Amino acid sequence: MDTNVAAELAKYENNSAPNNKSRRSFLKASTLATGGLALGLHVPSFASTNVENSDFNPSGFIHLFENGDLVLYCGRCEMGQGISTALPAAVADEMEADWSRVKVKQGEADEEKYGPQATGGSRSINVMYIPMREAGAAAKMMLVAAAAKVWNTSAENCYAENHFVINKSNQQKLSYGELATLAAKQPVPEKPALKSKDQFRYIGKALDRHDQGMVVVGERQYGVDTKLPGMKYAAIKHCPVLGGKLKSVDKQAAMQVPGVVDVIEIPRLEVPYGSVGGVAVVADNSWTAQQAANKLQIDWDLGPNQNYDTKIYKANLVKNVEKPAQVAFERGDLKQAFDSAASTLSATYTGGHLCHAPMEPNASVVWVRDDKVEVWASTQAPKSIQDVLGAYLERDPKEIVVHVMMAGGAFGRKFKCDYVQEAAAISNKIKAPVQLIWTREEDMRTGYYHSNNAQHIEAALDEEGNVTGWLHRAAFMPIASLFNPAVDRAPPNNLDVIKDHPFGFANLRSETGEAPAHTRIGWYRAVYAIFWGFAYGVFADELAHKTSKDTLTVLNNLYDSNKNPEQEEQVRRSKGVLALAAEKAGYGKKLPKNEGIGIAVHYSFETYVAMAVHVKVDENGVEVKNVDCAIDCGLVLNRDGATAQMEGAVVMGMSLSLHTEINFENGAVVNSNFHDYPVMRINEMPNVRVHITDSDERSTGLGEPGVAPFAPALSNAIFAATGKRYRDLPMKGVTA
Amino acid sequence: MSKTITINSKKYEIDVPEDMPLLWFLRDRLEYTGTKFGCGMGLCGACTVHVDGQATRSCVMPISAVIGKSITTIEGLSEDGDHPVQKAWLENNVPQCGYCQAGQIMNAASFLATNKNPTDEEIEAAMTGNICRCGTYQRIKKAIKSAAYELAKEV
Repeated sequence: MDTNVAAELAKYENNSAPNNKSRRSFLKASTLATGGLALGLHVPSFASTNVENSDFNPSGFIHLFENGDLVLYCGRCEMGQGISTALPAAVADEMEADWSRVKVKQGEADEEKYGPQATGGSRSINVMYIPMREAGAAAKMMLVAAAAKVWNTSAENCYAENHFVINKSNQQKLSYGELATLAAKQPVPEKPALKSKDQFRYIGKALDRHDQGMVVVGERQYGVDTKLPGMKYAAIKHCPVLGGKLKSVDKQAAMQVPGVVDVIEIPRLEVPYGSVGGVAVVADNSWTAQQAANKLQIDWDLGPNQNYDTKIYKANLVKNVEKPAQVAFERGDLKQAFDSAASTLSATYTGGHLCHAPMEPNASVVWVRDDKVEVWASTQAPKSIQDVLGAYLERDPKEIVVHVMMAGGAFGRKFKCDYVQEAAAISNKIKAPVQLIWTREEDMRTGYYHSNNAQHIEAALDEEGNVTGWLHRAAFMPIASLFNPAVDRAPPNNLDVIKDHPFGFANLRSETGEAPAHTRIGWYRAVYAIFWGFAYGVFADELAHKTSKDTLTVLNNLYDSNKNPEQEEQVRRSKGVLALAAEKAGYGKKLPKNEGIGIAVHYSFETYVAMAVHVKVDENGVEVKNVDCAIDCGLVLNRDGATAQMEGAVVMGMSLSLHTEINFENGAVVNSNFHDYPVMRINEMPNVRVHITDSDERSTGLGEPGVAPFAPALSNAIFAATGKRYRDLPMKGVTA
Repeated sequence: MSKTITINSKKYEIDVPEDMPLLWFLRDRLEYTGTKFGCGMGLCGACTVHVDGQATRSCVMPISAVIGKSITTIEGLSEDGDHPVQKAWLENNVPQCGYCQAGQIMNAASFLATNKNPTDEEIEAAMTGNICRCGTYQRIKKAIKSAAYELAKEV
């Protein structure tokens, strides 16, 4: 069955210098203490352009025990996106392991073992997919080699299948458990051959999430569920304005609440992922701590950002994009294009701040002892916890033990460990383990928000309505401001998506408008793609309307006008998902009055997603009836996980398109809980149909790409149904 | 006489301030961490348990109001995770991060106990109080319909 195995082993065994140090080691094997095979994996720090270092970095442990139990460690953080199923399943597939024998464990913070663990940017599959598969394939080859030794036969005469190695001559079988210890002693194949698509057992199928059984009985452990002897519970009130400082706090009333142990001031830690500063109450349960925290009389010096007002600020953003701004990039001759244009079209688009608002607020348990610091946290960045706490507590970061717990949703917020640093500060003071869970109010008001944003597009058109020139201005508080507060606008490279857009445009200029930061800005699922996708998607629809064509035709024309051979793939795959979504939605068919279908497509995080949204709008508002999502993410690992990601992206898209915006007045967030940050609920759920492009291309991620095309498709659908154009997110008060 | 409460068929003495909402008694005082904190205001449903079989938001239910009553949490919904709602949840691969799911399941189980043959609209109305930020709503609806079908067969 596995004819590749023998060829690979032969190649390796003919290699005269398996231990030659000048060759970069790829995989490392050892015997487990209790017997069995442990296989570690080398992963480069960044797979694409930023190769940080290519030193040996073993990661992704495969532990095969003598009883056949197989533990696969997932180094990337599970937050609902399904990575702890998708990647281990890829290992198990190549390894010819029986998935029912597999237990997936979350790796603790240890980048030497697991490689880069920071989970975000939809990169886990991009970066880890091939290395994980190669580790699985290598393990299989070592098991085959062990069996061949036992039977005193050749590797060609054996094959692996479902946790066994079989002898072709006599059909004898040896189980993986029986072979494990001997397999650990076999040479480690350097570049093992991978299965072809038709050989996949788990990859590309619809796999159940490995631990959903625990969820339905309430046994899955999140960052806040850890219990330790002598553990105390804390609540915190944060400074409501970024850059503010504590003037004074009257602790008396709080301290008098029965069960309260201490009130602790936590100064702002001025590193990107450090606390904004606050006052914490410690008690014997978190409710008492929260009630007591409400009794604190705190006087803040609100600091330099105390006048931040989003109404005023957004109006300024619009002003800043509707006049010349700092040039980020230009090519061709834009002036000529506009001078010779038959007509022009321009539009301005805006969006508001967003708060991640996962169902689990920020929470962790930290225990600071003289000889050990231990963390149990919902996190997207285990190493950051080590680095920030290490610096803060003046300990060696590598000594900080971080147990990566299941995150109850994250969407980017749990990349920043300010909430863990606070728990560490409290534990350090009271010398006991501390559980700190933020209230929903604190979580909503102490965020790292998606930037509010404004964009202005001006297009020069020829007689046929083709775009001959494209001016695109954008103004948004950049994430860079978190790392350099002096930044007063998005740096030019933040606008690269304009110069790199698959539409091409020979005559192009992008400009970045003034947008100084007055709050912390962070990565929010899909990040800037949310507003790029919105502007491109709605503007294409506006172009169609202006030129009396349908949007599908206009989008195809825009892609076809790009003659750059380096973007041929992007053009082809963008058009592919667009065609699929449009076809499945019945785009172009006659619809009842007040109904409309809108389409949009966006390429982000190396994945292509198109959506066709079908709405009905009446005097009561907008009903989203159907959403057809077409995705092209290369070879899909887990079809069910992929579908779930799109369903979730639609829900997140609906919230941000129709309902949610974080507003600031007098420097502080106005919203506080789900009544004034009304995320989407089940009664609005449309019928979502997901169409996956069958592809053999390199696998790319799906955590974020689904979010970007929804809002423009919805706005376009509402226009189709009502003739009303909505250019500002969230779209409030939509009626016929 | 000491005040007690029954949780998942076990009797517990109430030894916390009586204005403490049930959620924290479950999570912090005892070890029933399956029920979750999401908002503290009864808006999100993550804290849903059964009080005498009725779905209740434990984050806004003071212990004083449930003295002597019988509470069921997600851990006690079934012996082996085999309540039709739990089984339907697995068959339909509902959970993503899973944090809201205990509340979703408890709410659905309580609803279906009194409404054997719900329409789509009735399901939506019953479940609107439970927020899911990962967006598992489509599968929740499907799972509830499937569980309703199973429960109807049992009768």
